[in-house]
Amino acid sequence: MNVYLKNILRFCIIILLQVLILNKITLRWWNEPSGFPIFIPYVYPLFILLLPFETSVWALLIMGFLLGVSIDSFMNTAGMHAFATILLAYLRTNVLSALLPRNLSEYAGQQPSIKSMGWMPFLVYSSFLIVLHHLVFFTIELWNFSNIGFLMLKVLASSVTSMLFIIVYLLLFTRQSTSRI
Amino acid sequence: MRNFIFFIRRFFNLILFLALEIICVILIEHTNTLQGNDIVSSANTVSGIVYKKQSDVVYYFGLRKMNDSLLNENSLLRQKIDRLQSIDVLKDSLVHTKTASADTTTHIVKYADYLYRTARVVNNSTNANDNYITINRGSKDGIGKNMAVISGTGVVGRVEHVSAHFASILSVLSTKQRISAKLKNGTNGFVIWDEKSPDILTMIDVPQEVTLKRGDSVFTNNFSLYFPPDILIGTVVKTQAVKKNGLLLIYLQSSTNFHNLQYVYVIENKMAGEKKQLEDSSAKK
Repeated sequence: MNVYLKNILRFCIIILLQVLILNKITLRWWNEPSGFPIFIPYVYPLFILLLPFETSVWALLIMGFLLGVSIDSFMNTAGMHAFATILLAYLRTNVLSALLPRNLSEYAGQQPSIKSMGWMPFLVYSSFLIVLHHLVFFTIELWNFSNIGFLMLKVLASSVTSMLFIIVYLLLFTRQSTSRI
Repeated sequence: MRNFIFFIRRFFNLILFLALEIICVILIEHTNTLQGNDIVSSANTVSGIVYKKQSDVVYYFGLRKMNDSLLNENSLLRQKIDRLQSIDVLKDSLVHTKTASADTTTHIVKYADYLYRTARVVNNSTNANDNYITINRGSKDGIGKNMAVISGTGVVGRVEHVSAHFASILSVLSTKQRISAKLKNGTNGFVIWDEKSPDILTMIDVPQEVTLKRGDSVFTNNFSLYFPPDILIGTVVKTQAVKKNGLLLIYLQSSTNFHNLQYVYVIENKMAGEKKQLEDSSAKK
């Protein structure tokens, strides 16, 4: 499939998945009346994480902005998701080139995935950026530094859950090699 | 000049990054003022339509629950009618009637005239810091900014953004608004949300002398510009004395179940403009 078509499709699917399914589940790790924060897993940054290796930074930034603003308009958060997503898009290239053994331009025509990078580098890459995204987003959303423990707990719990969902997404939507049977 | 172009080309990514981030900060700043921005909100047409499509699908799963809640509400309203009929109070609203009665000592003059519109909830959130509810009615149906919104069981929120066919409501579960409220004995205070649990509201500014039981009701009072008086907000769960200012903090179980809200009433107070004008003009002096 054409790379552009594939990514436009993925854009729509990920936004619908985030808005219509994941936003409806309110998670709380154990049922205490107050104290432990409630949160939603945010999976949509995965779209930026999965763009092909050779995507230039300005394209990443523009797409991050579009993605963030569309999520914002669904969730009435005006700019908060966009802010965090643009930061993630800006840092993506640096993180990738730090993690990969060869120069980024040598990976033409491929996209970051478990198959092209291996389990460990991909998990480090995605979890680092996801934690950063969540940290920035929840900080802006809460904007209240009197209770840093609460904020950190929220970021930690939410990013662990998001990572679980991202792994599930990858296992569901990547083509498995058939020779393993 | 060449150096300038060279500079731009060299740092193009950084400049773009900063420009986009500044746009986001402006958007966020703009929303944090009370009026908010209408561009990036779920009242806009695209997200409104997506939410409506989804609600059309999910709608059928909640029909049984909704029937029950409508029945409950009907019985409550019937009780109210019975009560009013048995007392036989002359209620003359300023706008319509000028009936005279033999007994003029007990008459109640109502200066407020409220208009109720029903609306269906097409999207609902309970887990953000400021929770919004999208409904399928907009300015074409007469919905305007700042109208009060209630459900069959209690207070829901206030309309914040309006488009032609949709409106988004800032619910009580928000740090941005407070509702003036009263206890059963008439003590006034404010109801806010402490952003922890979507079922628990807090009432502040209550003197410590009041005696309360678990389960006592808290209603809206007459001070609000938009909410009609005597609408249930919640019931008392526990109280806690604040040492700092000698006031009482009351935790309320919210009477509206925000998790499965399906229908709401949007209330237009026809006298709100006049009242606000009067209050503003006296505040200026």
